[in-house]
Amino acid sequence: MTAHVASVGMGRFGKRPEGLIDLAAEAAGLALEGVGRKPIDLLVVGSMFAQGPHGREALLPRLAGRLGLESASGFRVDSSSGTGGMAFHTAALALETGRFERALVVAVEKMTDRTTAEITRDLAASLHMSEVAAGATMPGLAAIVTERYLQRYGLSTDVCDLATVHARAMAVTNPNAHFQKAVTPAEVAASRAVALPLRLLHCSAISDGATALVLERGTGPATVLGLGQGFDALRLVDREELTSFAATRVAARRAYESAHLTRKELDVVEVHDAFSPFALIHIEDLGICGPGEAPGWFEKGWVGRDGRVPVNPSGGVVGRGHPVAASGLAEIGEVALQLRGEAGRHAISKRPKIGLAHAMSGIASHNFVTILGGKAA
Amino acid sequence: MISEATLELARCQSCQARFLPADGPCPKCGSFQCTPYSTSAVGKVLAATELHYPAAGWHAPHRLALIEVADSVRLLAIVDGTLPVSGALVEIRREKDVYHARPEPAG
Repeated sequence: MTAHVASVGMGRFGKRPEGLIDLAAEAAGLALEGVGRKPIDLLVVGSMFAQGPHGREALLPRLAGRLGLESASGFRVDSSSGTGGMAFHTAALALETGRFERALVVAVEKMTDRTTAEITRDLAASLHMSEVAAGATMPGLAAIVTERYLQRYGLSTDVCDLATVHARAMAVTNPNAHFQKAVTPAEVAASRAVALPLRLLHCSAISDGATALVLERGTGPATVLGLGQGFDALRLVDREELTSFAATRVAARRAYESAHLTRKELDVVEVHDAFSPFALIHIEDLGICGPGEAPGWFEKGWVGRDGRVPVNPSGGVVGRGHPVAASGLAEIGEVALQLRGEAGRHAISKRPKIGLAHAMSGIASHNFVTILGGKAA
Repeated sequence: MISEATLELARCQSCQARFLPADGPCPKCGSFQCTPYSTSAVGKVLAATELHYPAAGWHAPHRLALIEVADSVRLLAIVDGTLPVSGALVEIRREKDVYHARPEPAG
């Protein structure tokens, strides 16, 4: 049973005065408007924290009630920062059974009402408990991964700065992005140390935001062509290697196989750059370039809007902002907008036919790859 | 003077993986049939970083290192003292469920 993305709804990412439910309802409303308020029989909602003003919200029934979808079926999913990818896959697989006609997928996070230290602690829930016991944080472990990558290929932090410059330059054209100002390599290199080699401008921001999309039976420019997911050892020290993420490689292989196509057919890619150097690792793991070749791709501008394979035209996680659960769905939403010719100023130079979105949970412990495109058959 | 401190590792009887903490289970296959053995507590730093924005409940700067010990077993440790460079040797000790590393005494 084929399904396609019929509509994408996204509010602005950033520091927002609204709470969790209002943010989710705003994005959902935009997505529902996009299909003329046609009936929805499946609601899939994702959030890592589901943080309301008085604690964890009963997000699924609250949102079903708010949107008047009490007669639909529903699922609530959580895969930390990969939640948006998991939510989309859940809806797509449910539609494949033929039991549902039209799904509303919503992913939302409210984060800016807590301190950075609190958010840092809460985000570490996506790590192994033994790492948390040692005081590890997402940026701390990402710094270790980045350092290993730089060591392996004999690189300086200039490539990390370049990845941030790319993300922020893309974000300027996306009206929903948290960051609306480009940065220079010098500004990135001068930003304060978070966990060296990572500096503030290499790290994604703490943001509020939501993404919603409508997935319905049938075909269109953003038909679901392939889905794949992959795990890796949660504890970093149990992994075979740190300069490549097995969870992405497995997810990508399965997605390419299910779509019956190769990375050579991709016209646009959105990757989960929670830390800007991760964009390098991700495009290598997706097979867009070989191991160690990603820095060259960024240096030569091959990831730009008119490059060989445009990467993160939305600004990516670093440019768009990171309401964690919403990011994975925003990546899929961006690819759908590009394919549907609805990306506005952030459209890539040539309208794409096939695109890939990648979502990452924690430090790549469980990743999701989604391939969308015009249905050939 | 070479440190005489030791570190407990374990070898899985099912899949032969070597790992720590030695009280298991095996991180590769989940087996509890593991044989502990002792090795030198000296390890080599693969990467280290200083967290300037630690999680709530921790103090900045908080230092972490990825370390390789005998048999290519790796561990994550809290660094006590100044941040070591990659390649430096450190002495490791276990305190409850957490490993700590400090620069190896010069000898």
